Amino acid sequence: MEANQIKTTITDEGAISHETTLFAEPILHTNNFTFTNALVSSWLAVLIIVILAVILRKKMREVPKGLQNIFEVVVEGALDLCDQVTNNRALSMTVFPIAISVFFFVLVNNWLGLLPIGGLGLLEKSSEGLAFVPFLRGGTADVNTTIALAIMAVLGANLFGIFSIGIWKIFNKYVNLKALGQIFTKIKKDKTIIIVAPITFFVGLLELVGEFAKIASLSFRLFGNVFAGEVLLASMAAIFAYILPIPFIFLEILVGVIQALIFSMLLVVYFTISATDHDAHDEHDGEHEHVNKESIIINSNTA
Amino acid sequence: MDSIISTFHIDWKIIVAQAINFVIVFVVLYIFALKPLSKLMAERAEKIKQGLVDSKKANELLQKAGEEYKENTIKLRKFSVDAQKELQKDLEKLRAENIERIKKDEEEYKKKRMAQMELDKKALIESATKEVISLAMLATEKLISSKKDLNNL
Repeated sequence: MEANQIKTTITDEGAISHETTLFAEPILHTNNFTFTNALVSSWLAVLIIVILAVILRKKMREVPKGLQNIFEVVVEGALDLCDQVTNNRALSMTVFPIAISVFFFVLVNNWLGLLPIGGLGLLEKSSEGLAFVPFLRGGTADVNTTIALAIMAVLGANLFGIFSIGIWKIFNKYVNLKALGQIFTKIKKDKTIIIVAPITFFVGLLELVGEFAKIASLSFRLFGNVFAGEVLLASMAAIFAYILPIPFIFLEILVGVIQALIFSMLLVVYFTISATDHDAHDEHDGEHEHVNKESIIINSNTA
Repeated sequence: MDSIISTFHIDWKIIVAQAINFVIVFVVLYIFALKPLSKLMAERAEKIKQGLVDSKKANELLQKAGEEYKENTIKLRKFSVDAQKELQKDLEKLRAENIERIKKDEEEYKKKRMAQMELDKKALIESATKEVISLAMLATEKLISSKKDLNNL
C-alpha cells in the first residue's frame, strides 16, 4: 500500500480499486482545464448556499420562522464570537461577512464529503487496472480549495490592514525601514540601537515568511483533517460496511463544524492583527510608562 | 516544492476556480442574507430597545399616577370628611330653623283655628237661639191653638 493511498477493495483479477487519493481525481478534461470531483463538489456547495440564501431572502420576516430562525441564531452566535476576538464591534461588523462566508463555504464542503452520493462515479482504466473515480469528493479534501481559501484569507488580511492603518505601516511590518532609519536618528541617545535595529529589521522579514507559513498552516490543517476523516470513513467501511461507519460519520459531522469554525476564527484573528497599529500601541505604552515613571519620581520626592 | 505540487496535484487554475467559487458565495450571502438580515436584526433590536425605554417610561408614569391617586384619595377623603361636617352643621341649623318655623306656623294655625272656632261658636249659639225661639214660638202657637179647640168644646 502506498503512503498516499488506501485501497478499500481489492480483488486479484479484474480488480476495481476504490482508492482515497491525496488529490482530487479528474472527471472531465477539456483543452485547458481539468474538472476534478472536488471542484464539482464545490460548485454543488455554492449552489446549495445560493439556494438557501435566496430562500432566506424571500422568506425574511420581522418575526423569524424556520430557516431564518436558525440563520439568526448562527449569525448572532458567530458575531458574539467575533466580538470576543476583535474587542471592537465596528471591526467585527467589517470582518464578519467574510468570516461567516468562509464558515458556510467550508462547512458545506466538509459535509458534502460525507454524503453517500460519493458512491456514484466513473470507472477509469489505469496502469494498475480499473479504478473507481467518484463524481463527488469533499471540496476541502482537495488541497487546491484550501490553498485558495488560505491565500484569500492572508491577502485579504493584509489588504484590510492597508485600508485600516495604511500601506506604509504594513510595508514597515515586513520590510522595517523605520527600524533601520532609527540607527541614524537615535544613535546618539542609545548606542544599543546598532544591534537592536538590524534584529528588528530581520524580525520584519520573518513576519513576511510567517505570512507564507500562515497560508501553509491554514490550508494543510483543513485539508489534513477533512482528508483524514474521509480516509477514516473509507477504512471503517472497508472493515465492515454496515453500522460501523455510523459513529464515525457523526464524528466527521462534528469535525466539519470544528474545522470550519477554526478556519473562520483564524481568519478573524489575522484580520484583527492586521488592522491593529502596533506602533501606536507601543507609543501609547511608552507614554504610559513615562507617566508612571514621572509619578513615581514625584511620589518619592514628596515622601 | 515540485514534489509537493505533483503529490497534491496543485493546479493554479483550480485554485482560481475555487477562489471564484468563494467570491460567489461571499457576494450572494452578503447581498441576499447578511445585509438584509443585519438590517432587520438592527431594526428589531432598535424596536426592542425603544419598547424597553417606553415601558420604563410607562412604568414611571404608572408609579407617578399611583402616587397621585393616593394623594388625591387622601385629599378627597379629607375634603369629604370636612364637607360632611359642614353639611351636618348646616343640617342642624336648617333643622333648628325648620322647627322654629313649624312652631310659629303651628302657633299661627292655632290662633286662626281658635278665632274660627269662636266665630263658629257664635254662629252656632245664634242659630241655636233662633231655633229655640222658633220652637218656642211654634209651641206657643200650638198651645194657643189647642186652647181654642178646648174652648170650642
